[in-house]
Amino acid sequence: MAVLNNKKSRVSGEVPMASTADIAFLLLIFFLVTTVFPKDKGLAVVLPEESVEVAVSQKNILHLIIRADGIVDVKRGESQQIQQMSAPDIEGLWRQEVAANPNLIAAVKTDPNAPYKYMVDVLDALHSANAERISLQILEG
Amino acid sequence: MARKGGFKKRSKASEEIPSSSLADIAFLLLIFFMVTTVFPTDRQRPIEWAEAAAAQKIDEKAKNILNVWLEKDGTIYINDQLYTMDDVSQVVAPLYALSERALVISIRGDRDTPYYMVDQVQKELVSAGVVRVVFATELEQRMQRERR
Repeated sequence: MAVLNNKKSRVSGEVPMASTADIAFLLLIFFLVTTVFPKDKGLAVVLPEESVEVAVSQKNILHLIIRADGIVDVKRGESQQIQQMSAPDIEGLWRQEVAANPNLIAAVKTDPNAPYKYMVDVLDALHSANAERISLQILEG
Repeated sequence: MARKGGFKKRSKASEEIPSSSLADIAFLLLIFFMVTTVFPTDRQRPIEWAEAAAAQKIDEKAKNILNVWLEKDGTIYINDQLYTMDDVSQVVAPLYALSERALVISIRGDRDTPYYMVDQVQKELVSAGVVRVVFATELEQRMQRERR
């Protein structure tokens, strides 16, 4: 049995280091490929060009008047009837109204002192309902 | 003299250039450039974002996007510089011409900014001739919205 003690293990005692660079490059390439840089998001609008005013018939306008407290007054064209709504409900309203009149334009009039977020909420609802004809105005008087 | 047999003596130095540290040098360079590279973007201003569920990615190259930061007290920052409301059109117009009318303005307004300031910015942009504007928002999750 003394013979067994003399036998040396043929397996190397060291961890193989030659391939560590390959592993490192593999990781590097993996992260290079999978990294996505965060892209800015937002609600796109097209501003009118200066001094271009288009006359629109009142019956094609849906007035959305955003008050300073965030409540939206909805007024259809010439009628003086006012309906009060919250911003998320505009989406459903717009879908209904645009089905009845495809030429409808949303005139968003915001109170000068209303926080910006209320306008964004209404714009968001209109974008969610695929509205394309939107006019952004400030409430006067 | 034992040294006389010089022909038989071999140099102990290896003939090869040591290449085992090549990878280390490459990584050192890689890390150096990663750390020192600065992408030319303006710094973030501390604003509270408005949220919108319908927000979409801006369909334009990053170099054609100009951020206009609007804070709730009405201060405006463009390219890390403070401007007043009346300067906006004068600042934006040359940049817009330089980009050959491809520039998209990203209005980054604080959610509690009074709307008349946003309206003023829009009017300034109109007088600069800008057409494409994005109201930058954070994406609102539908789940959160339903919970509210």
